[in-house]
Amino acid sequence: MAEKRDIEIKSRADTIGLMDLKDVRPYPVTPPPTYEQVKPVYEKRKALDFCNWSEENLKFEKRYGKDEALTGVRVMDIGLWRLGHKFCSSLFGESGAEVVSIEPPSGDPLRKLTPFGREEYLLQNTETGEKCGMEFVNETVNTHCVTLDVETEDGQEIFKKMASNVDVLIDGMPPGYMDNLGIGYRQLKEANPGMVYVWIGMLGQWGPWKDKQSKFGQWMLEPFSSCACSWVHNTGLAQDLLPRGRGGDPTRSGIWVADYVAATQGYISALAALYWRDELGGTGQMVEVTGAEALMDILDFDITWYGFNASIKGRSGGWDPNLNQYAWNPCKDGYMMIGGQTDKLWYNIGFCFERDDIQFGRLIHEDPFLKEVGARNALHALIKTYSLTTRWLRDQNRVEAETKLLQYQLAAGPVLYIDEVCEFPHFKYRPWVYVHETDYGPLLIASAGLSYQVRTPFRCKWMGRDLGYDNYEIYMKWLGMGQNKVNEFKQKGVI
Amino acid sequence: MAKDPRVTRIEDLPGPKSKGELEEMKMPYEEYCKKIFDVGNEHIKPNALKGIKWLSCTMYIFTPNSVVNLAELGAEVIKIEMPRMGDAMRHTSPFNECYLYPLHDTRPMTGTGLGFTNANNNKYFLTMDYHIPEMREHFYALVKKFDGLTELYRPGTMDKWKIGYRQLSEINPRFIYVWGGGFGYGPKMFGGSYDILGQAHAGLASVTGMHEYMGGHATKHTNWIIDWESGNIITSGIMAAIHWRRKTGLGTMLEMSQVQTPTRLLGYTTTMYGKFGIVRQRWGNWDTQLAVHGIILCGKSDFPDADNPQDKFDARYVMVSAFQDADFKELCAITGLKNLYEKYKSRNQRCEGEAQVEIYAALEKWAADKSRSQVAKILQDAGILAEPVRNDREVYESPHYRERGTVRWLDDPLFGDMLLHSGYSAGLMEKTPRRVNWHWRPVGADNKRIYRDKLGIPLSKIQEWYDKAWI
Repeated sequence: MAEKRDIEIKSRADTIGLMDLKDVRPYPVTPPPTYEQVKPVYEKRKALDFCNWSEENLKFEKRYGKDEALTGVRVMDIGLWRLGHKFCSSLFGESGAEVVSIEPPSGDPLRKLTPFGREEYLLQNTETGEKCGMEFVNETVNTHCVTLDVETEDGQEIFKKMASNVDVLIDGMPPGYMDNLGIGYRQLKEANPGMVYVWIGMLGQWGPWKDKQSKFGQWMLEPFSSCACSWVHNTGLAQDLLPRGRGGDPTRSGIWVADYVAATQGYISALAALYWRDELGGTGQMVEVTGAEALMDILDFDITWYGFNASIKGRSGGWDPNLNQYAWNPCKDGYMMIGGQTDKLWYNIGFCFERDDIQFGRLIHEDPFLKEVGARNALHALIKTYSLTTRWLRDQNRVEAETKLLQYQLAAGPVLYIDEVCEFPHFKYRPWVYVHETDYGPLLIASAGLSYQVRTPFRCKWMGRDLGYDNYEIYMKWLGMGQNKVNEFKQKGVI
Repeated sequence: MAKDPRVTRIEDLPGPKSKGELEEMKMPYEEYCKKIFDVGNEHIKPNALKGIKWLSCTMYIFTPNSVVNLAELGAEVIKIEMPRMGDAMRHTSPFNECYLYPLHDTRPMTGTGLGFTNANNNKYFLTMDYHIPEMREHFYALVKKFDGLTELYRPGTMDKWKIGYRQLSEINPRFIYVWGGGFGYGPKMFGGSYDILGQAHAGLASVTGMHEYMGGHATKHTNWIIDWESGNIITSGIMAAIHWRRKTGLGTMLEMSQVQTPTRLLGYTTTMYGKFGIVRQRWGNWDTQLAVHGIILCGKSDFPDADNPQDKFDARYVMVSAFQDADFKELCAITGLKNLYEKYKSRNQRCEGEAQVEIYAALEKWAADKSRSQVAKILQDAGILAEPVRNDREVYESPHYRERGTVRWLDDPLFGDMLLHSGYSAGLMEKTPRRVNWHWRPVGADNKRIYRDKLGIPLSKIQEWYDKAWI
């Protein structure tokens, strides 16, 4: 534990550095559960043998001892601002490909973005002192940072040479930008017919609503994608639940959600194209993924529903229009999620509430309409169910509610804030959140979801890097270009 | 190269080789893209994953979606459902309104709810009660022929039934086994999970929705985003495992927990908490790192006379983005808010919480007497990025998605015309495009095809199993 000491906080600035993992507030506050504490859970289920096998073979801590799936695959990535092409490159990086990210010599503007414009929340490289935004660092995993100005002729020549030897090229630039410079798919595929070219954007490289730029050259960024596919329209609380302009509005996601989805689909399509190239077709191809469409791909059945009976989906806040119960509702100290759709689970919820509130038993169990699983999804049935649920919840805090509901084997859990997420015992045990030693000092990060595998787990090696950190190494390795030559180009502003 | 190095052949020279290629190079880029993706002719191109065969013991959305990506890319997928009832998602439908029935079929007909849509395209549907010992050898027979399996049972269940990774990898060492569920090994290993639990538990809900001081609540993403996106991430893992297997000939097992997915997607949230002790909160329709970059409410709806309330009352929102200095200056000029530009000249100043509150309030005041399309048009004419927030009808009617083939009608072999917004939209591929052959089929629709044609079980035996409810 850190030593106890007095501090004086007069302004926000005085708190900087105080909260860092190792000092005033070490992480985790409570230690993660030990195997000895978890073992009874395994035993109670009579699955100790299988659970031990799982821990032995899937354990996160063993990831570095295992092979990487994409060793030898070479990926180049060019793009600014957005997370689509970055998360896609990170997936390649996490699975073992050699990934080079090209930035202009001035750097990706995302490096400078910081919450609420507060520069004190930029991360600082502990050796060089260079600063970088947290979002950039988190979303560039295992990628080599190389600078190159592709708007210069020299830069284009260099880019072409590099592209002639890659398996995958990820393009996160505006539509036609690379093509205009003579280094797009059309021009590069001749030198490298095996290349898979993946364009990742908001709405498209072509078509009436294709990606736009403002008169001053500003790009479209998320949430333009999720606004264009009805995702935003369909998210949020309805206007009869909260007044418009005060919460009862269409709502964007807290994250740039469409970027992440597009990136994942970009990775899938690129690997499928590589499979086809190597096993069947022999050539590369162009792939185009957009945030709006990739998000629409997983928009449940919403547009299909419009085709079915001209329904336009509206907002339903924390409720789900397809399942009862399947929602979170306010409780005494936050929000409580309760799920249970099948008869067994649905009645279990009722039995649980009934202990404190006889009303639920009377109105729900005696209502013939609510006895059938499908019928419970009618809107009035949802309103009835959730009105009573919320009435029960308003006298419970999250812990009380969860404890009571879990006694009935229900999937129930509170809405957790990030401090609670980071301290959640299961998350610490896996761990899903852990401290990784980066160039920016120890950082608390989330592990990759695919880190738990028998043979080729994904893994984070490094995150973020100084601008142009890998210039010398990559230019030598990929082009045989020595330091002097690189320096020469640097002076010309090309690198 | 020609055998004789003195001979110059046109195909050895750089540049276009034929008139067709020359024209392709000269074509405007947009037209070129349109030409190579060739929307509408997907089915005559090859399948990317031709020859890959996958088994799916899945239900709901999360794990079926991990397999549907493979099926759309051309893999042969068999979905094994429990006899009679099938996937619980078949009985799920928005407000219990929409069920579909086959237009023509000799097999048992039950309605399937719209909840089943998009996670089960192109699959073959088999029924088998694989937990009874009588069916085990037939399950093994399939495993021997297949490349992999995705399942979603509570951990250890398949192992107990002798059809887990430990048993199947003995039978077929190339087998790729995927478990998708809530938590994975650890203290909550046997905890059940849903999409909504992932949203709630792992931090996503805590940053989505209006801030408490704006009167808002933590808000659920409209779709089952964590189910779907975790499914996509599984497919990523499967593709990587297939790649590695080509080199080594070995299968693997993936354990993928959906509850973890949102935490990984939270960007700077976790790091900010670790480094600065700050717990990120909801910030509504604005952006924490850019301003102006948010959704504003306009005074008038675009369709005040429409019948549907979603058109009539809710066509009032515009996404406005002007975070670079020049853009913000222009935005302030066009909306008559020059004082705001003077006050918040730098990007970081504008991004401060108080500044955002002031700027968006002023913009909404300016938009109070205008309709959504008026606001968008004024800003677009000034060269600023602004787009209306569209609803399902507008997406359906959009010429963009129609032209790109991402929203289209599918004349389903069994169910007839169904509007489709999935599959084709996951990503356009030039040479091996994704495609949708059918939405889904009834429970056990392909029993005969698989039991008789693949495994050689006589029809009388199949009938007997059916009568016993083994299949």
